[in-house]
Amino acid sequence: MVSEDVLRTHLQELRRGTVVVASLVALRRPDYGYALLQRLTDHGFPVDANTLYPLLRRLEDQGLLTSEWNTEESRPRKFYRTSDEGESMLSRLLDDLAAVQTSITGLIQGVDR
Amino acid sequence: MNTLTNRYLAATLRSVPAPRREEIASELRASIDDMIEGRTDGGQDATTAEREVLTELGNPDLLAAQYADRRLQLIGPTYYLVWLRLLKLLLSFIPALAGTVVAIVTAAEGKGFGAIGTGIVVALHVFVHICFWLTLVFALIERSQTPVDLPEWTVDQLPDTPVHRGIPLADTIASVVFLVATIGYLPLQHYRSWVRGTDGDNIPVLDPPLWSFWLPALIVVMLGTLVFEIVKYRIGRWNWALFGTKALLNLAFSVPLVWLALSDRLLNPDLGERLSWLADADNRNLIGVAIAVGTAAILVWDLIDTALKTRRQTA
Repeated sequence: MVSEDVLRTHLQELRRGTVVVASLVALRRPDYGYALLQRLTDHGFPVDANTLYPLLRRLEDQGLLTSEWNTEESRPRKFYRTSDEGESMLSRLLDDLAAVQTSITGLIQGVDR
Repeated sequence: MNTLTNRYLAATLRSVPAPRREEIASELRASIDDMIEGRTDGGQDATTAEREVLTELGNPDLLAAQYADRRLQLIGPTYYLVWLRLLKLLLSFIPALAGTVVAIVTAAEGKGFGAIGTGIVVALHVFVHICFWLTLVFALIERSQTPVDLPEWTVDQLPDTPVHRGIPLADTIASVVFLVATIGYLPLQHYRSWVRGTDGDNIPVLDPPLWSFWLPALIVVMLGTLVFEIVKYRIGRWNWALFGTKALLNLAFSVPLVWLALSDRLLNPDLGERLSWLADADNRNLIGVAIAVGTAAILVWDLIDTALKTRRQTA
C-alpha cells in the first residue's frame, strides 16, 4: 500500500504544469481571478487561490496573458485574456500533452515506437 | 480601517516591489472580496468567511514571495554543492593553520601553555568567519540572478574507485608514531635518562656497550619495520608475503631483545648504584625474565592476530 503522502506528492508533480495549460485555455474567454478559480475547479482543476493569483501575474509578465480593468461592476476587477503569444505557446503545450498521452498509451500497450 | 483584510493586504504588500504595489493591492483586494462574497452567498456570516478566506490564502510573506517570484532559500541547488565543497575545503585547513600560527607566535612571546588557549580561540573565530562570509557571498550570488559560469561536470572528475582497505590509516599512523618514538628514545635515554648518578651525571638505562652493535642493529630493524608499515598501507590489504615479512621483522627485533634480557645484558649495571634494588642479581634476573616473557607474549599475540587478518583478507 502506497503511503498517502507519497501519492499526494506524485499527484502534485503530475498536476503542476497542467494549471498553466488549463488557465491559458480557460482565458480564451476573458475572466478575473476568482471567477477563473471557480471555473477551473468546476472543470476538475482544483487549484489554490494563493497559487493561481500570483501565477496569473507571472503569465502576464511573460506576455502570455493580457489584462484589462473592468470598472463597470460593483467592484473593479482585473480581467485576463490569453494573448496571441499565449495562444501559440498553448498550442505547443497541448501538442506536448497529447504526445505524452500517446506515449503513455503506447507504453501501456507494449508497443515500441 | 483595521479589518483583517486590510491587515492582510498591508502584510503582503510590504515585501512586494514598490512599482507594482498599487495594482497588486487593488487586484488582491477584489479577489479577497470576491472570495468572501462567494462564501457569504452560501449562507456563512461575514466575519467567519473573512477569516477562512485569509487562512486559505496563507502566510502573507509566502504569497508576496510568489508575487515577486522571490527565492525562498538561502542557497539553491545550483550553487549548494559548490558552496559545500568550498566550505569543506576552506574549513579543512585554514582555522587549524591560523590557530597554530597564532599559538606559536604567542608562545614565542613567552606566554607558555596559555598560547594553546589563544590558538584555539583564534581557530574558532576563523571557523565562524569562514562559514559566515562564504555563505553570504553565495546567498548574494543566488539572489543577483546573474548566471555564474560553473564548470560543467565531466567524467574525468570521477575519483578512483576506493580501495577496499583492510588496513586502516589510523593503525598505520599509530605504528609509525610508536616506531619513531622508540627509535628516538634509544639515543635520548643515553644522554638524558631520568636517573642521575651521585655526581649528578646522567646514567643511561640501557647498557652503553650495546651501542657497539645491538642497539644500532635494533634501530635498523625498526627502520625496516617503518618502511614495511608504509608499503603495507600502500598495498592496502594483508597477504601472505606481507605476513612473512612482518614475522621476520618481528623475530629480528624480539629474539635479540629476549636474549639480551635473559643474559642480563640489557640494563646498565651502573643503575644499581642509584637503585639499590637493582644491585641484587636475583632482581635483575627477574626483570630480565619479565621483559623476555612480555616480549615473547606480544610477539606471539601479534603473529596470531596478523595471521587471522591475513586469512580473512585473502579469502
